[in-house]
Amino acid sequence: MSVSHTAQRSEKSSAGLGWIPWATLVVSIAGLAVAAYLTYEHFTAGSTLACPDTGVVNCAKVTSSQYSKVLGIPVALLGLGFFAGMTVLSLPPFWRTSSPWPARLRLAAVLVGVVFICYLIWAELFQIDAICLWCTVVHGLTLVLFALVVIRQALIPPAS
Amino acid sequence: MARRVEQKAAARERIAAQLAAQQRAERRRRLLLALGAVVVVIVVVAGLVTIRLVGGGKKTATGPSGAADTQIMTALTSIPESTFSAVGVEGVQATPSAITAPALTANGKPKVLYIGAEFCPYCAAERWPVTVALSRFGTFSNLGTTHSSGSDVFPNTPTLSFHGATYSSQYLAFTGVETTTNEQVGGQYKPLDTPTAEDQKTFDTYNQPPYVKSGGSIPFIDLGGKFVSSGATYSPEVLAGKTQAQVADALKDPSSPIAKAVIPSANVYTAAICKLTNNQPTAVCSSDAVTAAAAKLGGGKG
Repeated sequence: MSVSHTAQRSEKSSAGLGWIPWATLVVSIAGLAVAAYLTYEHFTAGSTLACPDTGVVNCAKVTSSQYSKVLGIPVALLGLGFFAGMTVLSLPPFWRTSSPWPARLRLAAVLVGVVFICYLIWAELFQIDAICLWCTVVHGLTLVLFALVVIRQALIPPAS
Repeated sequence: MARRVEQKAAARERIAAQLAAQQRAERRRRLLLALGAVVVVIVVVAGLVTIRLVGGGKKTATGPSGAADTQIMTALTSIPESTFSAVGVEGVQATPSAITAPALTANGKPKVLYIGAEFCPYCAAERWPVTVALSRFGTFSNLGTTHSSGSDVFPNTPTLSFHGATYSSQYLAFTGVETTTNEQVGGQYKPLDTPTAEDQKTFDTYNQPPYVKSGGSIPFIDLGGKFVSSGATYSPEVLAGKTQAQVADALKDPSSPIAKAVIPSANVYTAAICKLTNNQPTAVCSSDAVTAAAAKLGGGKG
């Protein structure tokens, strides 16, 4: 049993990663870029935020609301940390490793991420009454990451 | 013998086939579970959007919710002198500008004129220090509670309303004008108070550069024709998510962020009012905090 398991693992390591890990890496990098932009805007008072500031789409209204911070930490900064972590965890060595921890961390991160974006979408729609375009891009990327990670996790054969 | 070997091989193949089928079933089950989780998330997000689109969102801020209750009035009028002194004027972002103009008076007393609107978040912020300062010289009655518009920046900032309020003082007079409510009808906020022609003239004349930084902004405050202020002296953000009672209660605590934002402005307004009342009452105007605030007056075009 252990011989076949080792053989299987060795085969998995030498074979290509498939498209999901690469897509996860690309989405994480894209999220990192947008979150970095939002963080920069947060700490520079959003004076150059490329977004309408009237009507339903109003980034300034969202990013200056009470929901722009959690326990005093800017949400933009939390997003930056999330995507930075996901970018590292999506690097090929962390997909190839035999340790179960990178996969567990990825799954835990996207689960927390998706719950958090549901909270932020609720806040935008029902409390702030405005939509932030850049935040919506981040929400979409988080959702895509969640889908990629859970589907990849499902495709990995259970450890025997 | 050969037959037995064949039987064993067949059994092994059957077991292998069963294992493969089990693995396929397990893989299918895990994939369905994963896809189900993705679908659940998409349904939740779509559900939130749908509920919002069919009108389940937060309602626009409503009008004044009546007179400020005893708890709020007591909190506003019982801020300890030690708090005024402890907070001082540290961090004050803007101060009223000194102007040269005819004295603004009513019934023979120097007059403080406030013109703002209930929808306006900056007015919402500024009413707190104005009220705290005025409460050191006289008494408000029928002071309202409300909040700024839910569809503007710093939405639903908790505040007081001068609409319908009266102020009595032996030292000065006060006129508070709230030009609109926080409710929109046809894209416009509903009108509320109309300034007298005289007050409108004061607004039009002195709410312009060089008296203030930018013309026409609200809130506009004229302190006896000696000082004017336009806009908020601190960010409304510090009041976000609080009730009026929570804001009023926080004012007595010199370590609270709300007191640190409101009290310095209140001290500066108090110092400006003391200039109108010939430093009366002495207990207020000669306090350390007010003396320190007086030194800050006239500098900035608020």
